[in-house]
Amino acid sequence: MGFTLKVEGATTIDLGTTSVTGVKFRTDIPMDSNARSTDLGSTVEITGKILTAVDGDPFDSTRQLGLWALVPAEKSDCYRKVSIEVIAASQVVRKYTYPNAFVVDYKEDYGDTEGVGTFRLVIKQKKDKMTQVAVEGGYSI
Amino acid sequence: MGLRMKIEGSESIYLPETSITKVVFGADIPQDSNARSTDLGSTVLVSGRILTPVDGEAADDTSKLARWSLVPAENLDCYRNVQVEVVNASQIVRQIVISNAFVVGYEEDFTDETGAGVFKLLIKQKKDKMANVKFEGGFSGE
Repeated sequence: MGFTLKVEGATTIDLGTTSVTGVKFRTDIPMDSNARSTDLGSTVEITGKILTAVDGDPFDSTRQLGLWALVPAEKSDCYRKVSIEVIAASQVVRKYTYPNAFVVDYKEDYGDTEGVGTFRLVIKQKKDKMTQVAVEGGYSI
Repeated sequence: MGLRMKIEGSESIYLPETSITKVVFGADIPQDSNARSTDLGSTVLVSGRILTPVDGEAADDTSKLARWSLVPAENLDCYRNVQVEVVNASQIVRQIVISNAFVVGYEEDFTDETGAGVFKLLIKQKKDKMANVKFEGGFSGE
């Protein structure tokens, strides 16, 4: 099972199957509601590896994720278009599209026992633009 | 023990026993009440696998679950009829019908260590329609 992450904004961030290790998709709804609530949100958590470039390869774009997490709310660049694909057996199992995603959490973790660092990015769709979130899947590449 | 789920709304969603791994049914009653409370709710948690289609078969219906969880409250389609069946030894152990179900939680989880993703769907019956919840079972089927 492989994952690709693409973030389009002022810069384009592309992370492939060697980098991304997990994707969690969640729909946020108040659990104490008596009927369907209008308070609807959507969150995606992406975990992956921070790979070191060898043999003159270009560095992976995880640093750009860290920079995106630091963009202040006053700038329009804090909202970016994110698409995430879950691929298995030549099939696109899921394709999530978030046209106005913003970062709610970003963490990088390094230790002296692992060869690579890890990152965890949590993004949300801007709540008034929830109708534009797309969940597709079940077709071949 | 086989678990099946059928959801009827603007589209129909069917997940068979190969997909669903767990069903938890719960009645939500305030625990601090001194006598029987009228504040009664019902929640069902369904967990299962997101299977990858192989050999050209059709994709499973789990992506429809994800889209149902995103239907806004203004749209009638956010309430759907859900039927969950627990089948064992040709007997229907439970047949739970949540006639006006809405989603209160939906999660999908994929990692590179497992071959299939997992989902968790938490649904509730619309509270003023609690009388329409059917909790049947103990009859033969199949």
